[in-house]
Amino acid sequence: MKPRVIALIAVLALVLAACTGDAGTTTTAGEPTTTAGAEVTTTAAAGSTTAAGGENPLAAYGEDPTSADPDLVLKALGPVDPSDEASWNIVLASIARATQDLDQATIDKAMECWSQPECDTGSGGDLVMGYADGGGNTVNVWRAVSHMEAVLQALTYPEIGTIVSTAANFDPDVAVHIAGIQFLIQRGVDFIVGYPDVGVALRDVLLEAKEAGIPYTSFSAGWVGLSDQEGALVPGEDYLTVVGEDLCALGESFSEIVNTGVGTGEVALLGGTPGNALTLGWQRCTISSLADGVDLVNPPANENTTTGDTSWYNPIIPDVFRGLLTTNPGIKGYAYEYADGLFTGLQVYEELGIPVENLTLALRTDEQTLFCDWVERNEPTYNIWFSAGGNFQSRTSVTAAMMASKGAEVPGEIVVPHVMRQVTAEDCNPDRVDPVVSGTSLVPDAVLTQMFAG
Amino acid sequence: MPVYLALVLLVIVASIWAPAALGGVALSAIAPYGALLGITALGQMLVIMTGGIDLSIPGTFSLAAVIMVGVGQQADDRIGAAMLTAIGAAAVVGLINGILIGGLKLNALIVTLAVGQVVIGVVNRYGQTFSVQSPVPTAWSEWTTTRIAGVSPVFWIGLVITILLSVAFRYTTVGRRFQVVGANPVASHVVGVRVNLNQISAYVGAAVLYAIAGMALAGLIRTPGISVGTRYLLGPIAAVVIGGASLTGGLASPFSTLAAAFFLTGLNQMMLTMGLPTSLQLVVFGLVIIGGMLVSGDRIIKGVERVLRDRSRPGRRNQGTLAVEGGET
Repeated sequence: MKPRVIALIAVLALVLAACTGDAGTTTTAGEPTTTAGAEVTTTAAAGSTTAAGGENPLAAYGEDPTSADPDLVLKALGPVDPSDEASWNIVLASIARATQDLDQATIDKAMECWSQPECDTGSGGDLVMGYADGGGNTVNVWRAVSHMEAVLQALTYPEIGTIVSTAANFDPDVAVHIAGIQFLIQRGVDFIVGYPDVGVALRDVLLEAKEAGIPYTSFSAGWVGLSDQEGALVPGEDYLTVVGEDLCALGESFSEIVNTGVGTGEVALLGGTPGNALTLGWQRCTISSLADGVDLVNPPANENTTTGDTSWYNPIIPDVFRGLLTTNPGIKGYAYEYADGLFTGLQVYEELGIPVENLTLALRTDEQTLFCDWVERNEPTYNIWFSAGGNFQSRTSVTAAMMASKGAEVPGEIVVPHVMRQVTAEDCNPDRVDPVVSGTSLVPDAVLTQMFAG
Repeated sequence: MPVYLALVLLVIVASIWAPAALGGVALSAIAPYGALLGITALGQMLVIMTGGIDLSIPGTFSLAAVIMVGVGQQADDRIGAAMLTAIGAAAVVGLINGILIGGLKLNALIVTLAVGQVVIGVVNRYGQTFSVQSPVPTAWSEWTTTRIAGVSPVFWIGLVITILLSVAFRYTTVGRRFQVVGANPVASHVVGVRVNLNQISAYVGAAVLYAIAGMALAGLIRTPGISVGTRYLLGPIAAVVIGGASLTGGLASPFSTLAAAFFLTGLNQMMLTMGLPTSLQLVVFGLVIIGGMLVSGDRIIKGVERVLRDRSRPGRRNQGTLAVEGGET
């Protein structure tokens, strides 16, 4: 097919997409894609918020996906298309428990369970929930909020009588991460929810948990190694399930954004801890779907390594940006999971005297710091697209574990659908309790106030 | 001298593989970070000169950084109070280290490791009293990122501290005495110098320097977090050793230590600029530190002296050769 014909088809497709009224979003289905600068829709009523598979397909397990508040689904995910039926029902069931109108006693109990290593929920339940974070409340807001989401979810189950939490605080020593899970095993928890920052290094301890009959569920696409990585565990076999986006679809969404926004020019990919499965998963697919004329300035050494490793850790992020920008000051696009990390990186633009313009960002999370900075800059050639912070996914992990405890067949991968949305001025809420909290979090403001009031 | 050769070598390598890293703007961007490592390394240098070592740096460094957040409360008029608190708290940590090591003669490595852990615990607890990822006061952040003669003031602070230490060592009684005690504590004790006080003051002075670096980094990155000092455990030790000091104590050069800190910072930045994977960066960084230690201090000078001595005394060398030959027969 000649280039002119392809270009004509592409233009017609864009016009068609714009005419459908769904401009401004690009979904996992891949259908409507818009150019940067097109009319933006962030409050679209599109997307399904209803359960699949009948009246209440999960009634036997005490869940009710049909009662999920559509507004909360929209807040957490945006106008998404549902994922597969089994996954979608569990996602909705978890959101259905995300009560926003909490009484003070519940808030106080949640604060106690969030801030203490162990708490009695007061329900009298027999189950003990373990929460194993590779980060922690005191090192990262995203981790703190995800922890609270899990605590609030646990408090909706009277069967859970105790919550035990550990945090490795991003310690570079793998043994610290392993010790946290070992402690939970020895404590005799009934299931563990966590994010495996050190990936396959947790293999042995998670197999130990399996031997002890303790299911492990990860969230935020926390694969304990991707399927083709050496030493990877198999979700559904070695551990209960992994909750998260389809990483390849997410990576392709990122590349769609930068391909369209950049046109031709240089782009860079950033990631988290070196080799982590989340970053590796999306980076592989972003790289393979970058358009001709879009040059990746920091390709990974091979397909099993990540690139642009920031460890999601603020003190490292400026170094990484400095390394990229000193040789490639004309970078026109970035793909990254962490909006607040990109906000930290932008200071290097000031250091090096590079103007923040002609820039397209494709991000996963949605911290207010970056969005409010974007509003303040008011630079028309600087555009940001984001998916969702995904804090609520820890709720889905809790619900999945509770369903499994009642005999439900939980899929090894619970796919959370995603949609890319363009940032607008409405995405900056300067009155939010803490500017680093994701706008898509389902932790009620009353709780956030107590968490971050200082 | 070797550290300056290493710097020249780094410039040559960078000019070939990462010339952009040598641009004026790029250098001015890394200058404050080199100075931060330099200030921390100067603190470690004071301790190493007394024959000790300080592994409490990450805790003290983080403590000062989070105090800028916690006491600063994002209010510009609280910057002074935050700075005084940070320096005071760090001095207390240094004093505890100094008393346990200089006064009670406990092992420096174990004591500072243990005290460092206690401080990290305190920092963790203190970090729970305010919002995680809270920023330092805006004016502090703006001041550290402003430019004086094209470079961050953090760089100039590092340079001034280096000059002050050099002048003190060379031209003041206290400075000279400090060096003498480090070089030979037994002899110093015999002639009536208070060795214990010397050691205690070294740990206090070092902790204050860590605090200065911690406060500066907090300003540069705005939201320091409780583990911001973690990266400053081994780098300062490497800088001191590459700068020519001996881990057994004795003389050291502040300027060489600062230069070594810039060498390490520049090396790190060059590897990032070259796009090396993280795993390879760590390998190269470790190998360069080992290489730097091998050629550091007076090793090269002693080696050259040995060669010259051997050449100037052919008879003695011949005797040795004959002895060996005799042994073989």
